[in-house]
Amino acid sequence: MEKLKDAFDFSDFSRSERIGFIIFTIFLFIFPWLGVSSFAKTVMIQFMLFSLFGMGWNTIGGYGGQVELGKAQYVGIGAYTVALMMVWWKVPFWISMPIGVLIALGYSFIIGYPLFRLKGHYFAIATICTSLVLKDIFDNWALVGAAKGIELPIHDHPDFLYMQFKSDTYYYYFIMALFYIAIFYMNWFRKSKLGYQLRMIKDDEDAAESLGIDIRWCKIKAYSIASAFVAVGGGFMAVYNLYIDPASVMELSLSIKIALMAMLGGAASMWGPIIGAAFLVPLDRFLGSWLGGHKGLTGIDYMIYAMLIMIVSAYQPRGIWGIIEDLRKRGK
Amino acid sequence: MLIIDALLQGLLIGLLFALVALGLTIIFGVMDIVNFAHGEFLMLGMYAVYWTNYFLNIDPLLALPVSAALGVILGLASYYLLISYLLRGPAIAQLFGTFGLMLFLQYLAMFLFSADYRMIERGFLVGKSISFGPFVFEATKLAAGVLSLISFAVVYYFLYKTKLGKALQATAINKEAATYMGIKTEKMNAIAWAIGGGTVGIAGGLLVNFYYAYPMVGILFVMIAFACVALGGFGSVKGVFFAGLLIGVLEMIFPVFGHLVGSDFLGPHFKFTVVYLAYFIIVVVRPQGLFGWKN
Repeated sequence: MEKLKDAFDFSDFSRSERIGFIIFTIFLFIFPWLGVSSFAKTVMIQFMLFSLFGMGWNTIGGYGGQVELGKAQYVGIGAYTVALMMVWWKVPFWISMPIGVLIALGYSFIIGYPLFRLKGHYFAIATICTSLVLKDIFDNWALVGAAKGIELPIHDHPDFLYMQFKSDTYYYYFIMALFYIAIFYMNWFRKSKLGYQLRMIKDDEDAAESLGIDIRWCKIKAYSIASAFVAVGGGFMAVYNLYIDPASVMELSLSIKIALMAMLGGAASMWGPIIGAAFLVPLDRFLGSWLGGHKGLTGIDYMIYAMLIMIVSAYQPRGIWGIIEDLRKRGK
Repeated sequence: MLIIDALLQGLLIGLLFALVALGLTIIFGVMDIVNFAHGEFLMLGMYAVYWTNYFLNIDPLLALPVSAALGVILGLASYYLLISYLLRGPAIAQLFGTFGLMLFLQYLAMFLFSADYRMIERGFLVGKSISFGPFVFEATKLAAGVLSLISFAVVYYFLYKTKLGKALQATAINKEAATYMGIKTEKMNAIAWAIGGGTVGIAGGLLVNFYYAYPMVGILFVMIAFACVALGGFGSVKGVFFAGLLIGVLEMIFPVFGHLVGSDFLGPHFKFTVVYLAYFIIVVVRPQGLFGWKN
């Protein structure tokens, strides 16, 4: 019960943050009824999906301070488990998704154990490598559709068990539910023992070790939590897109996007990943649809994107949330 | 026979891998930064030679100075415009900063040159092959191997025999002590980036003779370079040379091995998977690499 109370207890946030959170919640609730276009709805779904990914990444990458650039492999595991079980054995989403999460958890322990012998650059590159190895395997494995990917069977009627709906609104509320579970979980996580241990490790590993914290085990736990989050999102991607291939769910650029959104918004903060996703997803989508349509302008959207990354890393590594906090301090 | 042939081919390509990884390891040694955009320097070096060859009809091997110069300019520009700012921030910001540079250069190339695959078609050596007994080598690969070796030797000489090179080494070993000796760290950093860019520019110019240039080509080679740097030991110049050869051989021998065993699963699709796996195993089992001194 204590834990549950912690998850719903937002009293240590400032008043403006709490009010903002409530307004934001109401806005999300009524958004599909504002007469918005279906494009806007997909952008919102993407936004919540990437917030979910970013919050997951934030456990190990933000609070733990480990530069993790291989999250896409867990998106892939989640998505492929759901898709394959549905195609092969007609297993409903509600069973296959938890199984996908369990596989991701198991895999993350196996990978995490050797991975967390490493630190800094070595670690960052190694996470990329593990992700690329898995992608290469899926790219060439005929049984799982190789590079062609797999299509999920489309049902004639909407089916809650298989998460197939005619309208995006249902998907919208489903991802919104996941999004809020993630927020409450993160609210608990940052106050949990593991949360404090991770921040300690981030600040000073030697000091943390001398206090008796098992550094490697803490990192592995956080890494697995992050992987579970991401695998849930992966499962959602499979039923939402109805088609997955290694290029869409396991690409390196997906890993980078996940880490980047959290980092741009502000790593190791509660709202950072959400702000990052709220900023980058619409930018990505709108720039893509404006500029991508013009012939000869391909690539400009990503160049703007990359410029932002460079500017933020050079001037405010704590991200947008860091800027907000600085402004606040100045205001006082 | 097949194995010996693959071994020789692997050594040849390995020389080029070593040259690609050289700049990465020097930069890492001097300033503890991993440059993710290294592969994009390579990619732009490839394009530099390609376009010089295309428009001016200059032989690709004679166009090498163009790609070298472009590499040096790129290295210096990234150092002064981006890296020197990143150095003030935490490690995570440095990683993302060079990542941003990587993305930027990739899509700049996409914007300027489109996503088409391009390869040199006209050139003195293109399409020719030289045979030594039973072994046949593509002339372009042979030239690339030899010129890589020469470039590597020149840089090696500079690092270990000249005063400036020794100053660079001193900065890599102990930055603070080097500052007390009157070595300007700022200048050393810039030199490291200039050398890093220049060598990888040359490598790109050599590579485009027998490999397609396209905007995303860099990521593959930067991963290979990371594996070389890790195997050789981060920051070690000697190490990266042997590591390059080893990775080259590994990459060439693996498909042959699969062919001999008759297993499709060990096919050539996986030759780079082996490189990634090699990196992972090396850093986990022996983080200091073969000759590494930085931990």
